Amino acid sequence: MIEIKNVTKRYPNITAVDNINFEVKDGEIVGFLGPNGAGKSTTMNMITGFIEPTEGQIIVNGYDISKKPKKAKKQIGYMPEGTPLYMELTVKEFIKYMAELKSVKHKQMKEMINKIIEQTGLKEVENKLIRNLSRGYKQRVSLAGALVGNPDVIVLDEPTVGLDPKQITEIRSLIKELGKNHTVILSSHILPEVSQICERVVIINHGKIVAIDTPEKLESKTKEKNAILVTVEDQKENMKNIKELIKEIEEIKFIKDNQDGTKQYEIISNENVDLRKKLFEILPKQEITIFELKKSESTLEDAFIKLIDNATEEVISEEPVKDKEKIKKEKEEKKQEKAKQKKMKKEEKENRKKGGEK
Amino acid sequence: MWAVLKKELKSYFLSPIGYVAIGLFLLIFSLFFYLTTIEQRAIDLGNLYFNTARYGLLIIVPIITMRMFAEERKNGTEQLLLTSPKSITGIVFGKLLAAVGLIAITLVISLMYYIILCFFQAPNITSVLVMMLGFLLLSMAAISFGMFASSITENQIIAAIITIVFLVIPWFLPNLNESFSIIDLMSSYQKFPAGIISIKEVVNLLSFSAVFILITIIIMQRRKSVK
Repeated sequence: MIEIKNVTKRYPNITAVDNINFEVKDGEIVGFLGPNGAGKSTTMNMITGFIEPTEGQIIVNGYDISKKPKKAKKQIGYMPEGTPLYMELTVKEFIKYMAELKSVKHKQMKEMINKIIEQTGLKEVENKLIRNLSRGYKQRVSLAGALVGNPDVIVLDEPTVGLDPKQITEIRSLIKELGKNHTVILSSHILPEVSQICERVVIINHGKIVAIDTPEKLESKTKEKNAILVTVEDQKENMKNIKELIKEIEEIKFIKDNQDGTKQYEIISNENVDLRKKLFEILPKQEITIFELKKSESTLEDAFIKLIDNATEEVISEEPVKDKEKIKKEKEEKKQEKAKQKKMKKEEKENRKKGGEK
Repeated sequence: MWAVLKKELKSYFLSPIGYVAIGLFLLIFSLFFYLTTIEQRAIDLGNLYFNTARYGLLIIVPIITMRMFAEERKNGTEQLLLTSPKSITGIVFGKLLAAVGLIAITLVISLMYYIILCFFQAPNITSVLVMMLGFLLLSMAAISFGMFASSITENQIIAAIITIVFLVIPWFLPNLNESFSIIDLMSSYQKFPAGIISIKEVVNLLSFSAVFILITIIIMQRRKSVK
């Protein structure tokens, strides 16, 4: 268990971490999320005792990291940002050195090293110099260093940065596996990662905690009120009148002009009604042609950006790296949606024709 | 301490630094062996150790101390070291003793000059061992300064230059004022080459080392809150 109480870290010109409070329970996997420079690494460095907080207290498994550093540090395995390693050592030598630093008993050492090498999939490179390893392997060696000595708490600073998708999924499943009998804190600015692995998310920005919750709750919390995205061709500017025609609409927000004669709007309604049907009926009557119509769905990404935008006006957030699979899925979904819309349009036209005939 | 000591000593020989240092050291030893013994037709190793200490340490100490903390800081491996349960004191002593160990290895090799002289007339082995002991203490003092220099920067070159400057300046200071000569570490290596253990010299060298070891420990501990 880790307790972080009123922790502040001040530098001469900047407050890197500003009075944060949270707890990580035993056996929990907690994600530490925030844009670059939010104070994630600073917090992790404080948890692991690498730097001292200016104010506040950090207690790891009952030991205060400032007052009883030796005992507290024994509880922690740390994988620092950027995977610093001793390049002149071989993988096995490095892991052995880390074991010695953590005062692993001589009798258990050999067994433990072999177990960790197996666990992190380093068997085939165990006698290679770390200098000659690829980035992915270096990352694993660093992770192995954190696992040495079987610490209760594992702190991972951006564990999947710079890995290819396959390696990312491997490391993720390894972390999930670790979460079964360790307390894990990991930082990341990659959202899908956090929502997949973590049971709880701490979102931090400009040194302050913006939100702490489960990924699911964060999503629902920040969900837009029933919003629909619609792309239309509207030569007579009739969109303004729609709000009066459909009473359930709360607001019509102009989003962008696509420069091809179509414009995108967001239509928000406060009630729990699906406006899509009504829109299909009414828009054509106003001589508005619908090109695209879809329900906007809130993801953790939206939650993240929203929370951070709320906290500060100016945030440079990075485009999260998506898995290839996810992008593919999204594309397919879009295709299907378009196909549906086409079908619906056709039907509508036919209906109109029939109406005209009558 | 032992874990760090072992790894540091190993690292010296996994990178070229250990070999370069020992090689250079022996080169300087051999040069002075020729100049002070063979050319002079003397059977005395005192001048050999004195001159090697004066000129050799100037080159060797910066080479072996510059990387001690500067490299770890630059590569970030400092994080691994300082987040381990090992105390800073233990880490500092581990690194210091590894460097002293490297010098000790050279000194053991330097016994060959004694063996060479044995073919002519054996010098007194005890006085040779006293010279070596003094040499080791002197090296430790210089290394602890080099270690301090390495702990205040992440640039190895700067660390090396600080150390060299510190070791060279005492040569010139007595020209300004005679009293400056006490700053010179070599002033505490006067009786050792004659095979005499002087308490004053031993205390001087040990206390000098202690001061810089302490400063290094304080710097490393302070970094936690300054960083």
